[in-house]
This record gives sequence, structure tokens and C-alpha cells, in this order.
Amino acid sequence: MGSLLDTFTTELRRGTLTLAVLSQLRTPQYGYSLVQQLENAGVIIEQSTLYPLLRRLEKQELVSSSWDTNESRPRKFYVLSDYGIEVYKQLMDEWKKMTLELKSLLQGDENIESD
Amino acid sequence: MNLIEVYVYEVTKRLPIKTRDDIALELKSTIEDMLPENYAEVDVKDALSKLGDPAVLAASYRDTPMYLIGPNLYDIYILTMKRVIPWAILITISIHTFESIVSFEGKEAILSAAINSFGIIIGNVINVLIQVFFWFTIVFAVFERVGLSNSDLQHKKKCDTWTPEDLKNVKIIPKKKAISKGDVIFGFIWIAIWAIAYFYADHLVGIYRSIDGNVLQFVMPFFNQDTLLSYWPIIVIFIVLEVGLIVYKWTAAKWTMKLVTMNAIIRLSSAITFIVIASNPQLLNQEIIPYMADVFETTSSAVAYSLEWIWKIIAASFIVSIIIEIFQSYRKARIR
Repeated sequence: MGSLLDTFTTELRRGTLTLAVLSQLRTPQYGYSLVQQLENAGVIIEQSTLYPLLRRLEKQELVSSSWDTNESRPRKFYVLSDYGIEVYKQLMDEWKKMTLELKSLLQGDENIESD
Repeated sequence: MNLIEVYVYEVTKRLPIKTRDDIALELKSTIEDMLPENYAEVDVKDALSKLGDPAVLAASYRDTPMYLIGPNLYDIYILTMKRVIPWAILITISIHTFESIVSFEGKEAILSAAINSFGIIIGNVINVLIQVFFWFTIVFAVFERVGLSNSDLQHKKKCDTWTPEDLKNVKIIPKKKAISKGDVIFGFIWIAIWAIAYFYADHLVGIYRSIDGNVLQFVMPFFNQDTLLSYWPIIVIFIVLEVGLIVYKWTAAKWTMKLVTMNAIIRLSSAITFIVIASNPQLLNQEIIPYMADVFETTSSAVAYSLEWIWKIIAASFIVSIIIEIFQSYRKARIR
């Protein structure tokens, strides 16, 4: 039961991961700052998932990257591209629609239980 | 030993060369970001254990699939295998049967030669299966990686999206009306056997005798090979017609009136040809009659008389079996 719940929870999270990451990339971020921001918001993401995900988003041209060598150590900054902003907005609308739909479904369920 | 360097190395050595430097630099600065100021080895270990197994991390960096044949190609792969493997087996068996008959010199008894060839054929079939499996898997694995990207396949799927209209093109073949694959394959083998028996009658069709115990020896052929082979253009035409008919049966997959007519015409004309060839007085090897008279301790005229009867029975049963087949196919075609 427990491990099955874990599987479903992981699946749910995985679906929202891209949206969560895109939302934080409206301003340039480097890997670790992104991890911290997400963690502060309560979104826990495996670092071994996040860094490859950033590279994939870059390859899909949703984000662009640049190296900042001015600081004490070089950091790679990622930020949404124009295309990325467009996709992010559409994805956000989808998310809102989906949460509304699910909300009404789940509410219906609660009513049944309370009857 | 610098644990960070080693960790980065452990990850990047599993990645394509051109991405290594960039990922190494990013990974190193990320790990250093995770560490507090004036860190100790414990902190490094803590950070690295958060990143997890370097092999797993490297795997999630890779774009190429971690499988040989993915879900997009799997169906086509299995379908291709199912189509190809039976034919590969059939063709291998035919070729090697043909080959062993051609190379047969009559020094060996035909049965022991057949048993030897059987072993060789099984070996060859296994060999061919391994080859087929290997090469098709390679080709599909290459397709998986370069040939067809996911977007191509999805595009293709969009073009022929399934609609209920497609159901109108599906023909449900009643079982009683169907021509099974077994029939088709049997027909193919049947033609091969007849063709081989015809062209190699001087080595195959004749009198066998067990001399000195258990080894069967080919004594003499039944037919004059020259007379027999003088009909070869007609036989070749019939082989082509029969093969064509089988291919047609295979694609049609059920008996139709058109198929019944074609089948009947080819069968009847082959029966007529058979009778014409068999009626040629030159056909029978003349040495057969005295030899058999000697073996059965009777007169030559008695042997000739019984041969006449045997030939009549064979011809009659041949005609009857053809008529039965035509009649049955006609009945199957009439089923609605």
C-alpha cells in the first residue's frame, strides 16, 4: 500500500515538475539557486533529476543559458526564452483548468462521503 | 583525494565527449554551491549523497534511449519477426533440401543421406534464425536511435488515425471459408516436392533395395529421364502457375468463385498433362520390367500387366482427388 502510494505520488509530482521549474526561470537562475527556491516553496526535487531536466529544456529551446564567470566560481545561468515564456503560459492555463476540473470532481466525492 | 573531482569524473566518463566539459564545470560549481564555507569531508559526502549514484545521474543526462527497441517500434518489430521467421525457416529448408538432392551422387543410400541432410538442415535453420534475429534487431535498434524520431512516428500516426469508418474495410472471414496459412505452406512444400521429384527422378524415383542387410540402395530409376525431361517447359509453366495460385490464395485468404475457377482450371490442366506424360510409352525405363519379373519370380508380361493396372489406379485416384478438391473449394466459396 505504502509503496504504491509512493509510486502514484511520484507520478503526480513528475507531471508538475516542468511547470514548477519553468515558473522559477522567469528570472535567470543557476542550478543550486533553483533548488533552494523550489525547496523554499515546498517543492522537493531530486537534484539528479533537476540538472538533466535543465539541459533538456535548453535543448528544446525553452530556456537559454549563459556562463557567468564574474563570481568566485563560474555558474551556468538559465532563463526562459521567448518560446519558453509562451509554452509556460499555455502550460499554466492547462494547469489551472485541470485543477478546477479535479477540484469539482473531488468535491463531488466529498459530498458523497458526507451524505 | 578530491571526492568532488572523482565524482564529476564518474559522471562525465559515461557521457558523450562533446558534452563532458560543460557538464563537468556545471556539476562542480553546483556541488560547491551546496557546501557551506570551510567545509569538511563530511559535508562533501553529504552533498554527493544528495546527488546520488553517478551512474544514475549520468543516465538521466543522456538523451539516447536506455533500451534497444522502444514502445514506438516494438509492435512493428514483433510483427516483422512473426512475418519473416516462418519464411526464413521455409526457404532455408527448401534451399538445403534442394542442395542435398543436387549434391546427391547415388553412392550413399537415399535414406541415410536423407537422415544426414535432416541434421544439417536443422543446424542451418537454427543458424539462419540467429542471423535473422540478430540483423533485424540491429536494424530496429538503429532506427530507434537515428531513423525515426518520435515526432516522425507521431506524425505518421496522425495521418492514419483510426476512425470507425476503417471497420468497413475489415472483412470477417468465416472459419469454414478461410484458407489457412498451413494450407498455403503445405501447398508450397507440395510443389517443391513434385518439382524436385520431377527434375531428379533419375536419382530419386526408382527401385530401392536393401542389399547386405540394412542399408537401402538405389537400384534403378523408374523412368527414362530424357523422355521425362523433354516435357520440362510445360512443367516449368505449371510450377509458375501453381506458385502464383498459392500466392493468390495467401493474399485472398478465403475461397471465392474466382479463385475456385482458377484453381479448377489449373488442377484439371495439370491432370491432363500428367496423363499425357504418363501415357508416353517411352517413359517407363524398359529395364524395370525384366528386373521386377526376376525379383518377383514371374514373367515379364505379368509385370507389364500389373504395372498397367497400378498406373490406371494412380491416374484414377489422381483425377478423383482433384475432383474432390474442386468440389470442396466450390462448397467453401458458396458459404456466405
